[in-house]
Amino acid sequence: MACGILIFTLVTYHLSFDTFHKNPDRIYRFVTEWHDDEIDRSSSVPMPVGTAFRTDFSLGQITARTFLMGNSLVTINQGNDVKKFREENGVTFAEPGFLDIFNFPLIKGNSKELFGKPKQAVVTEKVAFKFFGTTDVIGKVIKVENKTQFTIVGVLKNIPANTDLNTEIYVSYGSLIDYDAFGNDKNWGGVMSSSKAYTLLQPGVTRAAADMALAQLPKKHFTGRDASVWKFKLQPLSDVHFNTEFDAYASKTYLWALFFIGLFLIITACVNFVNLATAQALNRAKEVGIRKVMGSLPYQLFWQFIAETAIITLVGVIVAVGLAELFLPMLNGLFKTEMDFHWMQLSLFIVFATVVVIFLSGSYPGLVLARFQPILALKSKLSQKDVGGFSLRRVLVVTQFVISQVLIIGSIVVVAQMRYAQTADLGFKKDAIVLLPMPKNDKATVGTMRNQLSGIPGVESVTFCMGAPASRSNSTTGINYDNRAEDEHWGINMKSADDQYISTFNIKLVAGRNVFAADTVREFLVNETVARKLGIQPKDLIGKKIAVNGGTIKGPVVGVVKDFYNHSFHSEIAPICIMTQSDNYYTAAVKMDMRHAKESLAAFEKIWSSTFPEELYSYQFLDESIARFYELDNTLLKLVEAFAAIAIIISCLGLYGLVSFMAVPKTKEIGVRKVLGANIGQVLWLFGKEFTYLLLIAFVIAAPLAGWAMHNYLQDFKYKISLGPGIFLAAIASTFVIAAITVSYRATIAALTNPVKSLRSE
Amino acid sequence: MIKITNLEKFYRTEEVETIALNKLSMEVKKGEFVAIMGPSGCGKSTLLNILGLLDDPDAGSYLFNDIEVADFNERKRADLRKHNIGFVFQSFNLIDELTVFENVELPLIYTGVAAADRVKKVEAVLDKMQIMHRRNHYPQQLSGGQQQRVAIARAVVNTPKIILADEPTGNLDSSNGNDVMELLTDLNEQGTTIIMVTHSEHDARYSHRIIRLLDGQTVVENIMI
Ligand SMILES: Nc1ncnc2c1ncn2[C@@H]1O[C@H](COP(=O)(O)OP(=O)(O)OP(=O)(O)O)[C@@H](O)[C@H]1O
Ligand SMILES: [Mg+2]
Repeated sequence: MACGILIFTLVTYHLSFDTFHKNPDRIYRFVTEWHDDEIDRSSSVPMPVGTAFRTDFSLGQITARTFLMGNSLVTINQGNDVKKFREENGVTFAEPGFLDIFNFPLIKGNSKELFGKPKQAVVTEKVAFKFFGTTDVIGKVIKVENKTQFTIVGVLKNIPANTDLNTEIYVSYGSLIDYDAFGNDKNWGGVMSSSKAYTLLQPGVTRAAADMALAQLPKKHFTGRDASVWKFKLQPLSDVHFNTEFDAYASKTYLWALFFIGLFLIITACVNFVNLATAQALNRAKEVGIRKVMGSLPYQLFWQFIAETAIITLVGVIVAVGLAELFLPMLNGLFKTEMDFHWMQLSLFIVFATVVVIFLSGSYPGLVLARFQPILALKSKLSQKDVGGFSLRRVLVVTQFVISQVLIIGSIVVVAQMRYAQTADLGFKKDAIVLLPMPKNDKATVGTMRNQLSGIPGVESVTFCMGAPASRSNSTTGINYDNRAEDEHWGINMKSADDQYISTFNIKLVAGRNVFAADTVREFLVNETVARKLGIQPKDLIGKKIAVNGGTIKGPVVGVVKDFYNHSFHSEIAPICIMTQSDNYYTAAVKMDMRHAKESLAAFEKIWSSTFPEELYSYQFLDESIARFYELDNTLLKLVEAFAAIAIIISCLGLYGLVSFMAVPKTKEIGVRKVLGANIGQVLWLFGKEFTYLLLIAFVIAAPLAGWAMHNYLQDFKYKISLGPGIFLAAIASTFVIAAITVSYRATIAALTNPVKSLRSE
Repeated sequence: MIKITNLEKFYRTEEVETIALNKLSMEVKKGEFVAIMGPSGCGKSTLLNILGLLDDPDAGSYLFNDIEVADFNERKRADLRKHNIGFVFQSFNLIDELTVFENVELPLIYTGVAAADRVKKVEAVLDKMQIMHRRNHYPQQLSGGQQQRVAIARAVVNTPKIILADEPTGNLDSSNGNDVMELLTDLNEQGTTIIMVTHSEHDARYSHRIIRLLDGQTVVENIMI
């Protein structure tokens, strides 16, 4: 029950995402699709799309572009004091009207003409407090990424937790001109993930109409094949949180999975209750018989039983609410969310669930009891068959077994996949490598950094690059091979890195040689996937010319490297080219001797801080950053494990109860059998036989179910373990062991009883 | 065949200690038919359980076929019991989920008789008890007399040397009771030793000898005939 409440809270939390805006059904996000050999999607659009939609059509009431500068550095000056903050939620550059599309109300300042001029900023109360210790911050100045100074003109109410737009600092879009990104303001051909656009459609305008209008844009702004490849569309706001084709955080599938696990747990608990209650009915037969003789009618008995169930359930609910309250912080920690109980919604759910549970679990035993023949009941001659339930109870036990086995198989698979992901050969080395950001990457800075870092004892090698081999930020462009007339129909992942890259990360060359040191692009390394996509042997690629980034970067291929994972196992290994291009070196990757990690890290910080005095130092171990790719999977894993454990415990309780009630009427039988010469093993087998049989039936049902579910789960991974019979065997073996322990404990008691005792009672 | 000397058995509950058997001595010869009588609570069932190796005495000696079994452990007792002793109870104690045939077959399974032999033996004994036609019925579908005959069939199927019967007619009317007594007499005539607890003087008359107990001690032994 407690789990039910928690899961309900989680599900409603996610369903409530961005539902608090004023016209949620009219708010849309622009997205890009590429219809080539495959359909690719991005939740971002080229920067001119928003403008074009605003000026070319009159469908949108308000259209606003945004540009997110993630994890940005904000500096404030107070007197001579300089304070630096690393804003994880980033700073969003927004066009006028953005705050009118969404319901982020200002509590100070004037919303009119907001962001109409450059260099304006609004911050939330929370941020204001963090920066200045007060919300009275109008007129104060903040500096973003050590470039533009923004004057605060408004204070926003704190951003609610249930939104994907979680930036807390907004600044004028116009000021983007001060930053590199502005170079793309007129560029139709490039999609930067930071560049989004939103619109509030005019009342009455349908999404289809808007999509139709948007379909004209590629024709106008692209030539040749591109005009039919590029598509711009609208995505409803309600879809943003769930559509994993774009960048959704939560997939609805997971939510549904959770929902069903919750449902399963409640069902299992009900099943147990029915089980025990019907078995108990046998013991209460006499009471019922007497009541009947005294003139009580069946329906009165029925309601009596329901009432009893209700009391038990209510006590259960109260305990459950308490438990849920207790565990919510844990769950929040697990999901990094800020959920709260909404008592209004929740109480509705609880009342509903309680009533259903009461009737589900109360009515069956109630009915059975009410229908007893009083004479038989009085003579206590009721056998198992009269309380009906034996075969029904078998069904229930099977149900429980099925549920626990599905969950067990589920956790095994998730664990196995996680282990695979964390220990598999990535194609490069991820241990003992520290990543440092490079806020400035001009030649001189890179040069001094290289010298200083290499000079630290314990540092084995240093490479400057755009990012680690596997990283979240991947930059994909078109590729032209060997001066062919037409570009290839697939994109290539560009990685800028110096000549130390492949040695630092231990990436293997399969053909050719490494690139020579250089600051601009002279030559390329490509991976095997490129060769495969081109249908050419790696060695034949050497010396061929390729051009990427719309033909602006060209050069010969000098080496082919072995494939390595460039993101998580969720995604396929992309075609990759590596080139020397020093103005893209945003990261310094240092391989070090872990025995001197502490001293080395201290030395890094010292060097880094003196090189970039205006910046805030931070570093990351590569293996940790890779582990982050699987954060959601790990969360899922923990959940599945927890719920599997709970389900197993509940099933065991059920099983124990069942065996107990099976054992009571059986004590006499056991006594007889022992008198006739049965040994303890043979008596235990009486129970064992039954449960082995039920377990096998359950397994036959659970295996395909779990197989199907896990197959779907693994579909999300491009590189995965295979579902071997071993997993299923392990599942059935573990359920068997658990069930056997439960059963044998009770059965042993029954089997060891001296037959003289059990036969005496006549 | 059975010889007990100064047999004692106590039952301790929290406060009271009941002396169920108080230095009891008696002997039963091979082929005898002995009835044990006495008021309620005088220790008849306790004695029968010890004789049947279901329970162990607290003191005294018990020679079974000249072997001292008083200090046998559970395992050894069970072994001896399976092959030598058949039980008939007042409340039949048939297993509800098994058919007549399966009930009678049970002791053979536990003594490890091969399946083909089992069928033969069970059929023979059911025939003798005249309940062959009921072989596929369940106990609840039979009358009390029929059930007791099944129980007797089950007790003798293993051809035990001795049959212990605790009030075998207690739950039966007089005509069914007489049938059961006839059966026991027949078995006795074919050589099986029988020790029977009963409250009925009428039934006791079928036996050769009546042992009367009072408070766990022998009072009188009547020799019949
Ligand atoms: N398990 C036990 N725990 C305590 N006392 C017991 C136990 N079994 C028997 N007794 C006591 O031992 C005495 C002898 O019991 P027993 O069952 O042998 O009597 P019985 O002669 O068979 O009586 P009945 O004719 O009623 O069957 C009685 O006083 C009884 O209460
Ligand atoms: Mg008795």
